[in-house]
Amino acid sequence: MTATLACTGLSKRFGDVLAVQDVGFAIAPGEAYGLLGPNGAGKTTTISMLVGLLKPATGNVTVCGTDLAAEPLAAKAKIGYVPQEIALYPELTGRENLRFFGRLFGLPRRELAARIDEVLDLVGLSDRADGKLGTYSGGMKRRINIGAALLHRPEVLILDEPTVGVDPQSRKAILDGVERLVADGMALLYTSHYMEEVERVCDRVGIIDHGRIVAEGTRHELVAMVGSADTIELMLDGDVDGAFDKLQALEGVVEAVRTGTGSVRLLAEGGRYVLPAIITAVDGRATVTAVEVIEPDLEATFLHLTGSKLRD
Amino acid sequence: MLRPLMSVAALELRTRLRDGTALVVALIVPIALATLFGLALGGDDPPLRATIGFVDLDRGEFSASVRREVMSNEQLKGTLTLRELPSRQEAQRSLDAGDIGSAIVFPQGFTKSVGAGSGGQVAVLTSAESPLAGVVANAIVDRISSVVDARTLAVRAALAYGVAGDRVKELVERNGAAGPGLSLADDPMEGGKIDLSVYYGSGMAALFAFFVVGASFRSLLTERRQGTLNRMRAGPIPQWTPIAGKALVGFGLGVVSVVATWASSSLIFGTSWGDPVAVFALLVAHVLAAAAITMLVASRAKTDAQADGVTMVVSFVMAFFGGSLVPLYNLPGFLQKVALLTPNGWTSTGLIRLAGSGGGLTTVIVPIGVLCAIALVAGGLAAAGFRKGLLG
Repeated sequence: MTATLACTGLSKRFGDVLAVQDVGFAIAPGEAYGLLGPNGAGKTTTISMLVGLLKPATGNVTVCGTDLAAEPLAAKAKIGYVPQEIALYPELTGRENLRFFGRLFGLPRRELAARIDEVLDLVGLSDRADGKLGTYSGGMKRRINIGAALLHRPEVLILDEPTVGVDPQSRKAILDGVERLVADGMALLYTSHYMEEVERVCDRVGIIDHGRIVAEGTRHELVAMVGSADTIELMLDGDVDGAFDKLQALEGVVEAVRTGTGSVRLLAEGGRYVLPAIITAVDGRATVTAVEVIEPDLEATFLHLTGSKLRD
Repeated sequence: MLRPLMSVAALELRTRLRDGTALVVALIVPIALATLFGLALGGDDPPLRATIGFVDLDRGEFSASVRREVMSNEQLKGTLTLRELPSRQEAQRSLDAGDIGSAIVFPQGFTKSVGAGSGGQVAVLTSAESPLAGVVANAIVDRISSVVDARTLAVRAALAYGVAGDRVKELVERNGAAGPGLSLADDPMEGGKIDLSVYYGSGMAALFAFFVVGASFRSLLTERRQGTLNRMRAGPIPQWTPIAGKALVGFGLGVVSVVATWASSSLIFGTSWGDPVAVFALLVAHVLAAAAITMLVASRAKTDAQADGVTMVVSFVMAFFGGSLVPLYNLPGFLQKVALLTPNGWTSTGLIRLAGSGGGLTTVIVPIGVLCAIALVAGGLAAAGFRKGLLG
C-alpha cells in the first residue's frame, strides 16, 4: 500500500549546524503519527521540508506517491498544513480568512462557500464566522488556523504544535476534531510538547533528537524499550562519587547514569520498593535532597532516549 | 495559476485600501505637497527687467550688428532695454545713479582693429546693485569675443598666405569666416523654460512612487513575521505568487499615484508636462524602476521595520540627488552628473525635455531605456535575494 506521506534520508544543514540528518518515516492512510522531540530537535525543520518550505539537502518526500520535488504543486495540493503560529490575517473575519486560503487551493467559488460552512461547523465557530479574527480568543484562532488547512480535504494533515497556548475547552475541541478526522481516514502528522496528546491521538510515534529519529514505534513498542523498570531521578548533596558507586552496585538497579554535578538517574525494577535501599546506600556519603520516580510510559521512554524531559 | 495570483493581489489591495495608507501615501500627500510647492515656488523664474547702457565710440559694423541683434531678439523683447550713451564716463555716471544696470562700451576703431587682424576689447561696466543686468551684458560680450577671435584668426591666416591687405576683408567675408553677424541663442537651458510647478509636481510623483510600491514589498516581510507567507507557500501555488501578487498591486497603485499627481498639477496650475503619451510612458518606467529598487530593499531586509527605514532613506537620497526636491539646474555640475545615477534623475531629465521642447516619445526614449535597465538590474538582484531569503 502506498504511504500517504513518506520521507527518506532527509537532511538539512544551516551553516555549521546539521539541523536534520537522515530522517525517514512513512504514514499510512488513516494513520496518526506523532513526532516527539525537545526544542531544537529538528521537528519544525523536518515539517518545513515535508510541506515544501525548505529544500532538503538530501532525501525525498512523497505524498500519496507524488514526489514533492518533482511535482510540488500536485503534492502540496494533498497536504493540509497547520503551522505552529496563528498564520492568519487579524484584520479579516474568520470566514474571509478561510475564503482566501481556500482560493489558493483552487476550490471553485460555490464549492468553497459550502466547504467554509462545513469547516466552520467542524471547528465549532459557525456563530462567530463573521467577526474579525483579531477579536477571537486564542483558542478560537487556533481552531480557524486548523480549519484553513481542511478546506481542500487533504489526504494528510500536518499539525505543528496545534494546542500551544489554548484554554482546556478549546484544546479538547481541537483534539476531538482531530480524532474525528483520523477516524474518517485522514492521515495525520502531529507534533506536540504535550505527551498525553500524542499518546491519545497517535498510533505510532517517532522520537527525534539532535536532528535524528532515535526511536519509532507504537506506544507499547516504545515503552517496552525501557522494559518494566522505573526511572528514578535523584538529587544528591555530599560525596556524590562515592554514593554513585554504591548505587551502581545496588541490587535491582539496571542502569545508573550521572546526569549532572549532583544528579543521578537510575533504572530500577520496582523503583518504589528499591527507594529505602537507595536511601540506605547513600547514607553517610551523601544526602538525598530530591527524588522522583517515573513509571514506564512514553515520557520515561523519551527521557531514557533523549536524556531530557519533553518540556525542558 | 492566475487565480491564486489574483487572490493574493485582491487581498493586498483590499488591505491597503482598508487601512487608508494607500489613499494617503499614493494620492493625498504627493498631491498636497506638489500643490504647496507649486504655490510657494511655482511659476517661471522672476522676469528680468534690465536696462543696459550702450556706448558706441566705434560706429562700425560690429557695434551696429550687436545693437541690431539685441533689439530684434524675441527672447529679450520687453525685458532688456538698450540705452544709447555718448561716453564711458556718462555710462559710469548712469550706472552709479542706478539708471542703468550695466553698460557695454565699444572703443573707437574696434571694427577696424578686428578687420586688420589685431583683435579688440569691449568693456563691460557692472554694478553690484544689478547683478542680473551684469550677467546679461557679460553674456553678450562673450558672444562678441568669440566672433572677434574667429575673425582675427581668419584675417591673420589670410595675411600670412600673402593676401593683399585691401582684399583681406572681402575674402574673409566672402568665405563666411566669422562675419560680423552676431546671433544671440535662445534659453541656454536644455528643454527650454519650465514652470516650477512642473518640477515640483513631477518631483513629488517620483518621490512618492517609491513609498507606494515599497509598502507592498514591505508587507511581504510583515507576512513572513505573522506566518501567512509560509502558509501561502505551503499551498499548491508557484513560489513567486505572493511576491508577484503584491508587486502587481504596488505597481498599479504607483502608476495611479504618479498619474494623479500629474493630472492634479496640470489642472491646478494649468501647466503642461508635455506630450501625454510620452509623459505616461516615462512615469510608468519610473514606477517600474522604483518597484524594482524597493523590491531589492525588501529582499535584503530582515524585518519589515528595517525595510521601512531603508526604503525611506533610499527614496529621499534618490529624490534629492535626482532633482525631485531641488530642480536639477540648481545643483552644482558634479551633482547633475550624480543625478544620472538615480531613476529620479532620468525621470526629471525626461520630463524637462518633454515640458520644454514639446517633443514626443522619441524625446524620452533614452531616459525610458535607462529606467527599464535600472528596473532589470535591481529586479534581478531582488530575485536572487528572495531566492536566498524569503523563498529560501
